[in-house]
Amino acid sequence: MGYAELTCFSNFTFLTGASHPHELAERAIALGYQALAITDACSVAGIPRAWAALRGSPVKLITGSYFEVEASEGAPLTFTLLARDRTGYSQLCQLITTARRRADKGRYRLEREDLDRHCLNRCLCLWHPLSGNEQEPSDSLADTGRWLQARFSGSVWITVTRTLEPNEERQLERARFLSSQLGCAIVASGQVHMHARDCQPLQDVLTALRHNTPVEQAGHHLFQNGERYLRPLSVLKRLFPDSWLQETLRIAQLCTFDPGELRYEYPSDLVPSHQTPASYLQQLTRDGERRRFPQGTPITIQALIRKELTLIGELRYEHYFLTLHDIVTFARSQGILCQGRGSAANSAVCYCLGITEVDPTQVELLFERFISKDRDEPPDIDVDFEHERREEVIQYIYRRYGRDRAALAATVIRYRPRSAVRDVGKALGFDPAQVEQFLSGIDWRDQASNWRQQILDKHLTRNPAIADQFFTLVNRILGFPRHLSQHVGGFVISAGPLSELVPVENATMADRTVIQWDKDDLESLGLMKVDVLALGMLSAIRKALSLVSRKLGHPFRLQDIERENREVYDMLCEGDSIGVFQVESRAQMNMLPRLRPRCYYDLVIQVAIVRPGPIQGDMVHPYLQRRASTEPVVYPNTGVQGVLERTLGVPIFQEQVIKLAMVAAGFSAGEADRLRRAMAAWKSDGDLTPFRDKLIRGMLERGHDEEFAERLYRQICGFGGYGFPESHAASFALLVYVSAWLKCHHPAAFYCGLLNSQPMGFYSPSQLVQDARRHKVTVLPVDINHSQWDHTLQARDEHLRLGLRLIKGLSTEAGRRICEQRPGSGYQSASELRQRATLQQRDLELLAGAGAFASISNNRHQAYWQLLGHEHEPGWLLGEACPGYGSGPDIALPTPSEGQNMLSDYTSLGLSLQRHPLALLKEQGHLKHCLNAEQLLDQEPGRPVQVAGLVTGRQRPGSAAGVTFVTLEDESGNVNVVVWLETARRQRKPLLTARLLQVKGVIEREGNTIHVMAGRLTDLSHLIEHLNVRSRDFQ
Amino acid sequence: MLWLYLHFPHLLLDHVRRSRENPVATAIVEGSPPQVRQACPLAQQQGVSPGMRLKTALSLVPDLAIAQLKPSQEHVILEQQARWLYRYAAQLVLYPPDGLLLEASSLLRLYGNLDSLWQALIQAASRRQLTLRLATGLTPKATRLLARADRGQCTQDTATLTRTLNQLPLADTELEPGTLTRLRRLGLTHLGEVFQLPPKELARRLDPDTLAFLQRIQGSRPDPQAFWQPPHRFHQHIDFICDVEQTQGLLFPLHPMLSELEEDLQWRQVDTDRLQLTLHHRDGDTQTLSVCRSGPEHRASAFLELIRLRLESHPLNAPVCAMALTVTRFLPRDTPSGTDLLGETFDLREAWQTLTSRLQARLGEQALQQLAPHADHRPERAWVTTPLQRPRKPGAERSWSHPPARPLWLLPAPEPLQQSPEHWLAGPERICSGWWDGRQVQRDYYTAQLPDGQVAWIFRDVRDGWFIHGWFG
Repeated sequence: MGYAELTCFSNFTFLTGASHPHELAERAIALGYQALAITDACSVAGIPRAWAALRGSPVKLITGSYFEVEASEGAPLTFTLLARDRTGYSQLCQLITTARRRADKGRYRLEREDLDRHCLNRCLCLWHPLSGNEQEPSDSLADTGRWLQARFSGSVWITVTRTLEPNEERQLERARFLSSQLGCAIVASGQVHMHARDCQPLQDVLTALRHNTPVEQAGHHLFQNGERYLRPLSVLKRLFPDSWLQETLRIAQLCTFDPGELRYEYPSDLVPSHQTPASYLQQLTRDGERRRFPQGTPITIQALIRKELTLIGELRYEHYFLTLHDIVTFARSQGILCQGRGSAANSAVCYCLGITEVDPTQVELLFERFISKDRDEPPDIDVDFEHERREEVIQYIYRRYGRDRAALAATVIRYRPRSAVRDVGKALGFDPAQVEQFLSGIDWRDQASNWRQQILDKHLTRNPAIADQFFTLVNRILGFPRHLSQHVGGFVISAGPLSELVPVENATMADRTVIQWDKDDLESLGLMKVDVLALGMLSAIRKALSLVSRKLGHPFRLQDIERENREVYDMLCEGDSIGVFQVESRAQMNMLPRLRPRCYYDLVIQVAIVRPGPIQGDMVHPYLQRRASTEPVVYPNTGVQGVLERTLGVPIFQEQVIKLAMVAAGFSAGEADRLRRAMAAWKSDGDLTPFRDKLIRGMLERGHDEEFAERLYRQICGFGGYGFPESHAASFALLVYVSAWLKCHHPAAFYCGLLNSQPMGFYSPSQLVQDARRHKVTVLPVDINHSQWDHTLQARDEHLRLGLRLIKGLSTEAGRRICEQRPGSGYQSASELRQRATLQQRDLELLAGAGAFASISNNRHQAYWQLLGHEHEPGWLLGEACPGYGSGPDIALPTPSEGQNMLSDYTSLGLSLQRHPLALLKEQGHLKHCLNAEQLLDQEPGRPVQVAGLVTGRQRPGSAAGVTFVTLEDESGNVNVVVWLETARRQRKPLLTARLLQVKGVIEREGNTIHVMAGRLTDLSHLIEHLNVRSRDFQ
Repeated sequence: MLWLYLHFPHLLLDHVRRSRENPVATAIVEGSPPQVRQACPLAQQQGVSPGMRLKTALSLVPDLAIAQLKPSQEHVILEQQARWLYRYAAQLVLYPPDGLLLEASSLLRLYGNLDSLWQALIQAASRRQLTLRLATGLTPKATRLLARADRGQCTQDTATLTRTLNQLPLADTELEPGTLTRLRRLGLTHLGEVFQLPPKELARRLDPDTLAFLQRIQGSRPDPQAFWQPPHRFHQHIDFICDVEQTQGLLFPLHPMLSELEEDLQWRQVDTDRLQLTLHHRDGDTQTLSVCRSGPEHRASAFLELIRLRLESHPLNAPVCAMALTVTRFLPRDTPSGTDLLGETFDLREAWQTLTSRLQARLGEQALQQLAPHADHRPERAWVTTPLQRPRKPGAERSWSHPPARPLWLLPAPEPLQQSPEHWLAGPERICSGWWDGRQVQRDYYTAQLPDGQVAWIFRDVRDGWFIHGWFG
């Protein structure tokens, strides 16, 4: 006897199914089922995972989906559709798409008429006539049955399940009667919600969450028992007549569709009719060569290109490269800067196609390293675009391929520890405020037992059994999918309608649609996606380049930048990197003077080294020491040498770690690939321990010492979720160099570009402007007569004039009119401005608050008073003489003090060009013994010092246990404060809430990097009560 | 005229903290995500401040004690404060959620001078363990602002009060944020600076409401106050000339009292369902009887009947020398439903209420319970007893089309099955549920006929024991 389960929810029927697809698959294999259908509610999102888990097993996967059709009265019509073959699968996907697109994100609405409109002749219909139909008269049920039979040309079954609930005998009787009425066979099914019976508590929790009530009050929403699991054959045999079980097998045999058949068909419209994809790609590459190497392609590169093209041809990836080329060409035609990264991006072909600017003659990045013939996996290229203009690219893709052929990949939002604790707490009826308290107090690295104690300690419950249950449930629900969201920019483009390949549903954003699969699903099915990402730095660079072009009087492009310029590296070695891509964070800034990058490849390492992977693996120090030649570079064998030579024997990149697992621990290519996937998934649900033993054993066997093996394993854990591969670092490093070059040689243009691309990057406009002034850039204030909307360069492109865009709340429209209507001699009065630019009172007030009237009035308060007084006066006709303001009686308003001006500036601009608040406070006699950032430079290490400044950043990096970094800003620069855990614990209040902080501590220095190790912290925020300073905290 | 404002910066918090022996840092939170609404001084010392997110507060004080804000409770507590003040000051205004305004002149007469009044209020608040910020002022608004800004002084001196008011920072004035921004942009920081500007010019530049607000602070525009009235309470007291020793003797004097109550209720068009009868004994003891009805009522005869029943079951334990009748709970009247104007009205609801009220009066309020279904799969938890409720309108109950087969006679606890059944009639029905409260059941139920002919509802539990859980008729 055999059995095929035909109705089964996975946890992709959100808040209903209580098991992962792979758990269901494994269980079905263990029980000896012949087939398993995954039939989530109006979805096939769980299919790829089930398929991957069942691949190579005797259990056949059937693809299907469950639907409910709301009836105008009575119980809904419910049925499950199974795809018979590829055509049936397409029909199913289209039906799902219709039902999903009609409803809001996360819901679906199927109408009876949809079954008329859609062709479903290659689908089988398992009808559930008895669920919730206790009252429906037999006649009307039979009518519904006949209606369904007509739609599915007879391929309709009556599905019956037995879950040992009341009135079951009656229901079976009705099913038999219905079957005889319709001449329609009965098939057994399990209505499975979980893989094993012991998941019932979790299923109850999910049900309670779905109904937004605690489990205790969920009552009849809960199932009466836990019978909706994958039951052993012996149990099924007792429950169902043989013929009903046989019917499951008959149906399973009818379903021959295998998701592995799905092949991505790339749009053919990119290839001219007389060419093959291969010849066209070859031609485009050759065109590119001529552009890139006007003096002739070097022999080595020619060989490389030939090799790469052969590989692409063998793997039939031509379309993928052609698609990328098409998108990148569009971007270039619009003047949108872009840069590719990822495996395969840094190849000679991509360089020629313009997908990347990384010059293969300068970096020896072997293409083979990034595309592997053994692993049957698609190449992965992410393309970054200017963040403000990525939408244009997206719209182009929609235009070019049509909305039915292009959609974004999904991102599965899963339960993370916090959301898991919150939701399980809610289901168990815990007080939400107490749950928050519990969450904030929890140390996630603590052991399980500790957790349980914390639950009891916090009085979430007094019942130890519930505490255990809570813990178990939280662990179970972790990693459960919660809903589908849109991927940041992963596009799937197909030859035919996409909805024949995978269902498409609505995203939260209007006019965006996502497919039901995420990037892992696409990867496991071997489908390709194109990542169209947004990068702020590219916007900034493009803007800076155009300013430089204007200054030089000729077009100046990215590729015109002089490579390997010494001054640029000198600047970086000083740690002078505010605003520079990737290396501007506190940790990166500290690393620069230690690593002392002198060439492009050093930057590749710099970008990758300050990451959790190398830090947790303790690889940073060894690398720095070897670099400084204080430690010899040795390799255990030539295999390892091949992998690690370019990083002095220390693994830095994710690729190296994977390669090491193969070379040093004897992993096979397949195992190494699984390790790579596990690393990527580690964050959500992965478990790396299975690899640990193998890795360490393998390395010991091959003569490596245990300590190195342990470190490598820790590094692997550190890479989990934050993996930073060399292929990405190489592309980023180029942008690091470009932005550093701009900062070094054209600072005014650099800061102007950055400021015009805000919000982006690590620093606020205020910090950028201060840094600009420290780099001798003259910064001029916002002024109605001199500013444009954007920040601009003036006075032979050397002075940076702040733009109107800095004024908080001012509309772009108003800003545009101010600039357009400005007379040659400038506005003479506020009234002229009001009329010419037809400004609202609100806009005028914002301008006055920002001090933008400086060129027509020297007292902000008076200017504002006059403005307010004329709010309700009738406007004058343009052209008439504008009577000057000031007709009202003289009012004694306080003259703005320097402090008030500064306060106003901070309120409406977020920065001030006047003196720094700290300078003002010091003049008033505050902070007498405090040194500023500049004075610190002359101090001996180990000296006790006092510093004070505006708190502009608080960070607690995961890599440095318990340490909080605080950045203080004073009139001369930034002071870096390090607060140890103990100090922090004793002085939480000033540490966490102060906006102006005074620190007594001890100075420490390494080269030019200075830290103050904090002792006593004092909150002096009362001195700057109304000053609005933004701190970048704990992100 | 002199005003006094009592600002209770954390009324609810004080109330919550009263029940704690050792003061711990406490905060009242509200909303989702939860935000701190009130923080006790101890918590404030550690950096917790109102408006802060709970998450932040907890990072400052990990073992912060938390209570949820209940606005209704807050109002009750404020009214309690109003009630004790009402004994001294007739002119009292409630400023929910946390303030009271008094017209001080009557109090001044009572206490002789401001100093002793001030001290008395502070002491009274501290007896009640309430944090109090007190201020005097010349106008209601000014007084409130000063108290809330904690700038109150014990003075009646007009010049001092005006000066303090002038020095009040604009941020403390409860002006609209937009108005505040405008004033700040004019370089104005204190109330006095605003007062100096010519009103006409000011009105042109700010909206008229703001000017009116400013003028009310100054007193140049009237600011009528709605004085508080304590909630209505019906109270009648009667002293007996000679002691009453039998309950019968109480009924006669009750009659006029109840008639008066009926009149009072009629006049105000309300009902009540709760009377309180206080019996004063010669020896100084009192005995309080509360008489409840299951539905609202206003007729003296109905009340009298209930009290009679109640007294019958409560013999007097000592002679009574005085008696008081108090009613504090008043219910709005329902318009009778289901009755027509002309036809005969036999109100079933009324008959039900009369019956249940009488049973309750005779047996005690708690003795009467009602059965109700409860949504739970476990048979022993599928029903509950609840206090008596008024019958709901028809159709409110859930209707079962085919209720699960359950015996009408469910045993209080399952009993072991002694003899094996003769016939198996139905089953199994599997019930596995209740893991969340520690009373999980895992059972297979069957309906079976036992050898003696009885039809039993039996189950086998997870440990393979057989039990009888009920009998079918």
